[in-house]
Amino acid sequence: MNRLLIVFLTLLVSSVFAHTNLGEQASSIKASGKVFHESISIIRKIHPEFLRHKRDKTLRQGVRTDEYSLKGCVSCHVNKDKTNNQYYSVDKKGQFCSDCHEQVSVSLDCFSCHRTIPKEGSL
Amino acid sequence: MNKTLNRRDFIKTTSATTIGVATVASGITLTTFASTNKVPVTNEKRWGMLIDTNKLTEAGIDGMVSACQEEQGWGSELHSTGSQKPGWIKKLKVKDKATGKVSNLALMCQHCEEPPCVDVCPTNASMKREDGIVLVDKHLCIGCRYCMMACPYDARSFVHEALRNQKEHMPRGKGTVESCTMCVHKVDKGEVPACVASVNSDAVIFGDLYDASSKINQTLRTVQSAQIRADLNLNTGVRYSGI
Repeated sequence: MNRLLIVFLTLLVSSVFAHTNLGEQASSIKASGKVFHESISIIRKIHPEFLRHKRDKTLRQGVRTDEYSLKGCVSCHVNKDKTNNQYYSVDKKGQFCSDCHEQVSVSLDCFSCHRTIPKEGSL
Repeated sequence: MNKTLNRRDFIKTTSATTIGVATVASGITLTTFASTNKVPVTNEKRWGMLIDTNKLTEAGIDGMVSACQEEQGWGSELHSTGSQKPGWIKKLKVKDKATGKVSNLALMCQHCEEPPCVDVCPTNASMKREDGIVLVDKHLCIGCRYCMMACPYDARSFVHEALRNQKEHMPRGKGTVESCTMCVHKVDKGEVPACVASVNSDAVIFGDLYDASSKINQTLRTVQSAQIRADLNLNTGVRYSGI
């Protein structure tokens, strides 16, 4: 019975991340074996804090580094529609951000203001 | 111990030292370039602008407005009606009643040293950076629009509709207040604001007001200039000459 419970719980937890759509650049980085995020569990848990810290430093103090920049997240985790060579928005259903956020029912407010695809000319 | 230096050893040591020095030197240059935006801005600088109303033509002001729209991505709102439309920078006609002299002003956020918009903001969203640039922190903005009412220059606008496809460097969204940022994203990179770049002549000068060697500081010391509504003692960062 216990074994069955463990199997069930593992399936439940992994189902949140199982279908994560990593995005084009992120997938190729992962495939190449390079490490971008030191700890995946940390970035999964506290990426909002990283972003919040960074946004205050950037907006209020003018510190503009690439570390934890939302632009960086978007450009790496975005997917492209192969048929028309257009990017999918990262907050679109089934894309990187909304994939988990919808599953866990946490609203995603970044993209009511922030651009959801990399900037023009980077296609 | 024999310490005579033969030719081969000499070449070895010299090349090793040269490589070493070169590596260190290039490291220093790289860090100097990379560290421009790693440290917080300070109040040793104060960014400002001087607009010469005699030199700046009406077409020049229109050019500034469209350069701003192009750079920051405003002005193509579909559902906002007349007074709801954003206007980060606008053309203003002022007429001297006595002489009938008409001047055209390019009016935008004046980046006050004592900004009334910051005083009234209930959430601390309206803020002034150390280097004098006044901004809206849209993460904190609740859209109450007190700042719009407090601003004597009518420089701020409110986003009335949901937007998509914003500029990467300029997040804009429904329910927040926005205004001229003095192209802070460009200034931090060492560039000049888009509107200043659009004017080819020296009708609009951008620079550090405190830096005695800057063009704006030197010009302000030689020509007569004015602040709009100087009676309010806000000490604006945007100055006008010829009015």
